[in-house]
Amino acid sequence: MFLQVLFLLSATLTIGCGIAVAVTRNLMHSCVFLLGTLIGIAGLYATLGADFVAVTQIMVYVGGIVILMLFAVMLTGGKDFVSRAQNLLGLAPSMGNKWTFALSGLVGVVFILTNVKLLMSVASSLPTKEINNELPSTVNEIGHLLVKDHVLAFELSSVLLLGALVGAAIIARPRKQ
Amino acid sequence: MNQTVVSYLAQYEFFDSLLALFGGNQGLLTFVIFMIFCLAIVGMCATIGGLGTYAERKISADIQARIGPNRVGPYGILQFLADGVKMMTKEDVMPFSADKFLFYLAPMLALVGVFATLAVLPFSTGFTLSDMNVGIFYLIAISSLVGVSVFLGGYASNSKWSMLGGMRGASQIISYEIPVTISILAITLLAGGMGFGTISAHQRGLPTNWFIFHNPFSFIAFFVYFVGALAETNRAPFDLPEAESELVSGYHTEYTGMRFGFFALAEYIEVFVVCGVGAALFLGGSNLPVDLSFDIIPLQLVEVVIFMTKALLLYYVVIWIRWTFPRLRVDQLMSICWKYLTPIAIFNLVGCAIWVVLFNGKSVAQLLMGGGH
Repeated sequence: MFLQVLFLLSATLTIGCGIAVAVTRNLMHSCVFLLGTLIGIAGLYATLGADFVAVTQIMVYVGGIVILMLFAVMLTGGKDFVSRAQNLLGLAPSMGNKWTFALSGLVGVVFILTNVKLLMSVASSLPTKEINNELPSTVNEIGHLLVKDHVLAFELSSVLLLGALVGAAIIARPRKQ
Repeated sequence: MNQTVVSYLAQYEFFDSLLALFGGNQGLLTFVIFMIFCLAIVGMCATIGGLGTYAERKISADIQARIGPNRVGPYGILQFLADGVKMMTKEDVMPFSADKFLFYLAPMLALVGVFATLAVLPFSTGFTLSDMNVGIFYLIAISSLVGVSVFLGGYASNSKWSMLGGMRGASQIISYEIPVTISILAITLLAGGMGFGTISAHQRGLPTNWFIFHNPFSFIAFFVYFVGALAETNRAPFDLPEAESELVSGYHTEYTGMRFGFFALAEYIEVFVVCGVGAALFLGGSNLPVDLSFDIIPLQLVEVVIFMTKALLLYYVVIWIRWTFPRLRVDQLMSICWKYLTPIAIFNLVGCAIWVVLFNGKSVAQLLMGGGH
């Protein structure tokens, strides 16, 4: 019951803010609504029992990515984008002709049908009983998986990130005359 | 494993009679208990935030050989109520060209981010709202909402001072999160868990069991944490986002009335939360100095008092530092974070890891008293 209420709240937050991100005309407001979407997704993770992933979602996106996006929007002039924003109908004719629209419509229909078929089989196989409220912690398992089973992938990704960091530092460094 | 205040109360007999009172509806009872505790904790912390402003003025007066507020109530202790009434009755001014939506949202986000951290703050072993397995990680993550609010407050005011303050604030909070998080990681390593319950259980008994005295590296980690926490809460000597002499009042220059009050309240409560985390991680948290085998509810209240004493002592030190040290420059701020605190924190983390492997996780006191085994 409690989990269902939380799930519904998170889902409403995610979808509502997601729509707001798309329709709002101010780029800065879009960023703030994106914050709501990402928090909602963290809530969805939490209701599914993935507590570590949920907190990591907040940590990475709210604490890092959204602030960086806000900085980027502000430094590149977020206010100027307001007047240039166009609605979808005004934009549509410039994006293709009737053949491209027909093709993309067909692809969309096939995509939706495939997803519905996949989800139907999942939904019918779900247990009808309510899931247990006592969710186990995932921290220990994630730790074991990261530094025991998948240690190579873990280390490789850390080397990649270090490379990105060094590269960014070299690009941003002021050149000596 | 995820213990809450409800699961703590459920071990007592009166819980069953309460359950009977609610007609066996356990969900409703859980909700009511959580509600009561949330209201109590939020109310208490809001009062601490309000009293923080009084303490700040009184202690600063003491340090500067003045008297400080002394008109409202005995020793001026009701000054914060008078300030609150003043803020609530003041006109809510909004700058003409401000971004209305973000201008209204920013103070709310600051309060939400701070109040959300109270969910895991371990007031005592039983009276923690939720002792999550990812407790400290959650606290670090959710408190970054304050950084967003500082930035948005500065941006939405559409004023140069606010903008500069907001940018300084956001960059400072992001930078100082790194040494603070790495210092906390060292403690997580020693405790073997991220939940406040696990961390607190490892520090039971005498102060020699506290993590600050566990090994030389954790001793340094405490100071790295404390300096970083000062910077993260925008307290002096790191209060560049609201430097009066340069930026009028920084990101909340354009805010008036209760919206300014929200920012001020959020700052003071955040300082309390940060001090509480310091007390819980390094100074033994709410543990009694003796190890008792039984557990009754009055004992929990004693634990709350112990925790609050430690946190408020740190709070005093924070105020003391504010009125003692001059403010840093921006370049000094960044070089302290990136050239000194972060390398020291990483060194501490590696040192703690080596210590755990070498001495099997034993503290200095245990090694001295245990005769080297």
